Amino acid sequence: MSYCVNCGVELDPTASACPLCQTPVVNPRQPVDTELPPPFPSRREEVQPVNKLELALLLSAMLGSVAVVCGVLNLFFLHSSRPWSLYVIGAAVMLWIWLVPPLLFRGMPLWVRLGLDACAVGVYVYLISIDLHGLRWYLGLALPIILTGGAIMVALGLILSRGRSILTSVTLIIGAIGLFVMSVELYVDHWLHQDYVPGWSLVVAAVCVALIIPLVIVRRRPALRDEVRRRFHM
Amino acid sequence: MAVPKKKKTEWYRLDNAAMMYSAIQKENYSAIYRFSAVMTELVDPAALQRAIDRTMPRFPGFRVHIKRGFFWYYFEPNDAPGPFVKEDMSNPCQPVRFREDDGWLIRFFYYGHRISLEVFHALADGAGALTLFRTLLAVYLRELGHQIPNTGGVLDVDEPPSREEQEDSYFRYAKSRVRRGMGESKAYQNNGTPEPFYTLNVTMGLVPLDKLREVAKGYGASVTEYLSAVLIESILAKQRREGRRRELPVALAVPINLRPHFPSRTLRNFILTVRPVIDPELGDYTFPEIVSQVHHHMRLHISRQEMQAVITRNVMLQKNKLLQLVPAPVKNLTMAISYKLVGCRPYSTTYTNPGAFKVPPEMEPHIQRMEVILGQSYTPRSNCASISYGNTMEITFAGTVKESDVERDFFRHLVREGIHVKVISNRQGPEPPAR
Ligand SMILES: [Zn+2]
Repeated sequence: MSYCVNCGVELDPTASACPLCQTPVVNPRQPVDTELPPPFPSRREEVQPVNKLELALLLSAMLGSVAVVCGVLNLFFLHSSRPWSLYVIGAAVMLWIWLVPPLLFRGMPLWVRLGLDACAVGVYVYLISIDLHGLRWYLGLALPIILTGGAIMVALGLILSRGRSILTSVTLIIGAIGLFVMSVELYVDHWLHQDYVPGWSLVVAAVCVALIIPLVIVRRRPALRDEVRRRFHM
Repeated sequence: MAVPKKKKTEWYRLDNAAMMYSAIQKENYSAIYRFSAVMTELVDPAALQRAIDRTMPRFPGFRVHIKRGFFWYYFEPNDAPGPFVKEDMSNPCQPVRFREDDGWLIRFFYYGHRISLEVFHALADGAGALTLFRTLLAVYLRELGHQIPNTGGVLDVDEPPSREEQEDSYFRYAKSRVRRGMGESKAYQNNGTPEPFYTLNVTMGLVPLDKLREVAKGYGASVTEYLSAVLIESILAKQRREGRRRELPVALAVPINLRPHFPSRTLRNFILTVRPVIDPELGDYTFPEIVSQVHHHMRLHISRQEMQAVITRNVMLQKNKLLQLVPAPVKNLTMAISYKLVGCRPYSTTYTNPGAFKVPPEMEPHIQRMEVILGQSYTPRSNCASISYGNTMEITFAGTVKESDVERDFFRHLVREGIHVKVISNRQGPEPPAR
């Protein structure tokens, strides 16, 4: 019988290394037995992941029936001159895109999911713009804002999904808010008077920067960071 | 008696331990444990299946599936065929799915000489499951042509199941005037690097019981107390290696079988945990000091009166009229969240020792040793469990963590004290070095 030279425990004749410290077994008198069955089976079995199909079907059915009922009401009974049901149908579609694909495809990358969610918002606002005959403001103003917001969310999601510290996460989120507000004003200004004069968004951005600076300093200086940890028990 | 005196109850409530175990159930976690018997002869799966079919009707408490009621989960007899014995796998104690595998909450496996039984903890505690297992082994040996009597804890499978075995004993003993809560502080979490879903690393140490008892006696402690102390010492060392500024207390959850303290024949859950703890902030403890702390803690807190107060509190919580009106999904979610936030926090790990597995002398030559595996923990850390049979004490570390440092320090300590340890594991050997 072989013993681990490191731990002093007796090993199974089939073990090629110590299970405790991974030291390989080197015993010229008794080489590792490859004929004997190992103490535990090597056949792996994976339990199936929980099936979310039922929940997805239920959600789809609920949202679908709400959309159909409203559509029928709209077409034949209530204010059939105005497509008000598009608001409800749009909301149903948006909710469906938000909730159902993540249930069905669990391996879905985060950026695809966030991108889809942003597209869903875009589609919903598009349906509203149809009702209000506002294709012009939709293309000129709403769509750019939604796309920018979506892009910022995707970037933020990708960065944060790698498990950042609380300090870094807070810094990034505040930064993203500042950026988004700046871009909103850019689009609004461009839409209203074809030029960009930063005004109210600068105030918000300045507040964000003011919040970020101490966070960055704390993050960069280990001594300060420790001090903050000690005070706030993070 | 808590059991209603109706003629035939088609369903029954979960006891309060079972409620907790089923509420914290999630996609990649179930409270599952496994007992195995390593037989002298190779296992005959056909005979084992016949034995299961003969034994299960005697144990209606295990022949159930779990149903979601509006306010609580409940058990209902499972009339599906089975459970069927399966070939064993390398990653035991996989989570159960309440609506798959015909809803079985109990599984049987065979591999070489080993017969294994896996139980969802909501059904029964270790003592209950071992009664089933002992009876099953007896019936199995009879199927192979051996003469095994119905003595020494082997139940008669031709006898109708008794009501008392189905009793919720917590209910019966919730009679204390005082309701004692646990209210424990946070302990060191002892987490490691999680393995991918679903890998359970199992490392077993086989130790001669007489030598172990002798060493434990040298410290004036029982085997459970001594092994708890070795485990605490290993976890303290791990925390020290992490170099934390402020070290947290290292505390174990040690389940105590309540049957010796409160007479009961139940096969369901009837356990409470005690919490031996060492706080390294108070200063460094030598090993004898740790043993002495654990020993005195256990002797002080395993008292009938104190345990009854805790039982009363747990049961009162379950009987609370307001709480009863909360729908089951909300209740389960609340319990799961509060378990995540406070339930597993007061403990660094669990150590359970169901003690010696005794069988009638006629069965002894057919069993080499017993094994126990406490399935994965709620967080990535390894659990410890032990069981003895004859002169072999089997100690298992099981968890979904990559590191094996706690068990390494644990077994090295035993070796240093002159106890022979043989280690077996389901960990795949190291990858051949890259060239
Ligand atoms: Zn070793």
